[in-house]
Amino acid sequence: MKNKELIRIFMENASKVAAEPFCVTNLSEMNQILAKILEKDTAIYCPNMTELEKSVQLDPTRLVDTFMHATATVEEVVAGIAETGSIVVTSANNRAVQVSLLPARHVAILSASNIFETLDDFFNGIGDTIPSNITFITGPSRTADIELTLTIGVHGPEKLFIILV
Amino acid sequence: MKKSTQPCRINFRQNSQEALQNNSLRHAMRYATDTFRDKRFNGIQGVPFEEWRQRASDLKISVLENLSGYGDQFAANATRRGAIIHRAVDAAHARELVGDILHDHGAINVVKAKSMVTEEIHLNKYLDDRGFRVIETDLGEYIVQIAGETPSHILAPALHKTRHQIGKLFCDKLGCDFSDEPHVLTNTARKVLRPEFIKADAGICGANFFVADTGSIVLFTNEGNGRMVTTLPPLLIVVTSIEKALPSIKDLPLFMRLLPRSATGQVLSSYLSIISGDQIPGLPSGSRRLHVILLDNGRSEIADGPHREILKCIRCGACMNVCPVYGTIGGHAYESTYPGPMGVILSTLLNGLERSHPLLDATTLCGACSEVCPVKVPLLKLLYELRERRVEDGYATSMERFGMLGFGLAANSPFFFETGQALAKTLWSLARLLSPVTVNRLPVPTDRTFKRRMS
Repeated sequence: MKNKELIRIFMENASKVAAEPFCVTNLSEMNQILAKILEKDTAIYCPNMTELEKSVQLDPTRLVDTFMHATATVEEVVAGIAETGSIVVTSANNRAVQVSLLPARHVAILSASNIFETLDDFFNGIGDTIPSNITFITGPSRTADIELTLTIGVHGPEKLFIILV
Repeated sequence: MKKSTQPCRINFRQNSQEALQNNSLRHAMRYATDTFRDKRFNGIQGVPFEEWRQRASDLKISVLENLSGYGDQFAANATRRGAIIHRAVDAAHARELVGDILHDHGAINVVKAKSMVTEEIHLNKYLDDRGFRVIETDLGEYIVQIAGETPSHILAPALHKTRHQIGKLFCDKLGCDFSDEPHVLTNTARKVLRPEFIKADAGICGANFFVADTGSIVLFTNEGNGRMVTTLPPLLIVVTSIEKALPSIKDLPLFMRLLPRSATGQVLSSYLSIISGDQIPGLPSGSRRLHVILLDNGRSEIADGPHREILKCIRCGACMNVCPVYGTIGGHAYESTYPGPMGVILSTLLNGLERSHPLLDATTLCGACSEVCPVKVPLLKLLYELRERRVEDGYATSMERFGMLGFGLAANSPFFFETGQALAKTLWSLARLLSPVTVNRLPVPTDRTFKRRMS
């Protein structure tokens, strides 16, 4: 399948599960979107580990060193799954998977070349030694435990933004 | 609700009569089962569901044929990744193991993610008695816990409570202002539970699956509490049962497609965590100590017996949501951890006919459960077989036995049959006087019987 078609399916399925996907063609566009999404956040955490994370330009006074009390996280995620509209985070390369859990808003940067068509494609390429934590994230945190009324944002983030680069 | 540790027989008939008189419960159950059923129906449109469930069924059967082998392989691989594996033969053994591990680590504050296996072994009461402070963190379980009740549905534990009741409960127990808005109540729970996650000494959760070839634990959640419980506290104890094995991590996509669709109609739950071993020193993700308890509690015996296919069950709840009995009376009437069609079968096999045989009345034998099961558990066939065994083992009521004996005689002999018809017609008014409620529900015997019309 062509990459363009994969991106289209991924975006469509991510929207269906209440994630908010954006597709950008260059880093300055990425930073424009980030500025808009994070306009009101006062404590933003970015691990600053990958090339894409290092390209994130945000007002340094709003950046924080730890994710524990951050209002938002911006991070690059390792994969996207077109079939389900999911993103994948792992503990590989010394990363904390909690950064995508504790802050109320999660901004995932996803390189378009890391989109897999199906779940099987992802697991077939996973290799022999898998990270101690692999988490698939499909939309924001949700519950329907009170009279089956859908409520977004329980313990995890209430907003999930995905920026495809 | 009575706990199933009590040896006494389940009073299913009386429980259901009480449930039938509870209008708000009936309304809630009907609404909930209808909703889940529609969501599942929409969720399986446009996908090769039949092909998937056949593959899943075949795979689960191959697992049941080699339960101990997959358990051993999982144990070896998980140990290699730093986990500590324990085997528990029964509920009491599993409870003690959990209590001892917590004690050895000096843990007091424990956060739990929803787990049916820990309900099965009545873990919370045991840990409370030993002085641990255990908090359920799934919103529905938390509501049920602070209300001092038990879950009524395996997916939505607080289904039997209205938003008004929950608002009042939060107001009383948490000292917050009254609200019956679900998002306000959810936000209150978020605020109350967040510090609990952070200060917890240990987390306890179950597993939807464990994977033999990678030694992984797999957990499907929606709220995010499962991720908190498995990644924030320094100690994690996973309690799971031996039939939840999958041979390979490559088998996971099939079940990722089947389970959420069958449960809530979702393409995938919000979160899916695959946890392989403890945290490598110096890494920030994951608990520093991981203990896994593999519970048998009678399952090896079931796996070797004629009813073993019930162990294919992946606990999606689809059979409950289509069951006309469950949808009318709800989960509490079953007095068992697992309600609905799969629950009737599993509870009977786990706890024995002596205690659980009245549950075998909780079916209309319509077979809707078998049709929706994502792993093709032959629920209807198993219900039939266990009902037969109930009669063979002498648990059927004398009324039922003599009634069936009489019918057998009559059906074999035209003479007895016609006599029976004539007697019924003659004695109908008398029977109506003796037992008006039952008799008035039955059709009145006619003079012009089918045979007479045909001759």
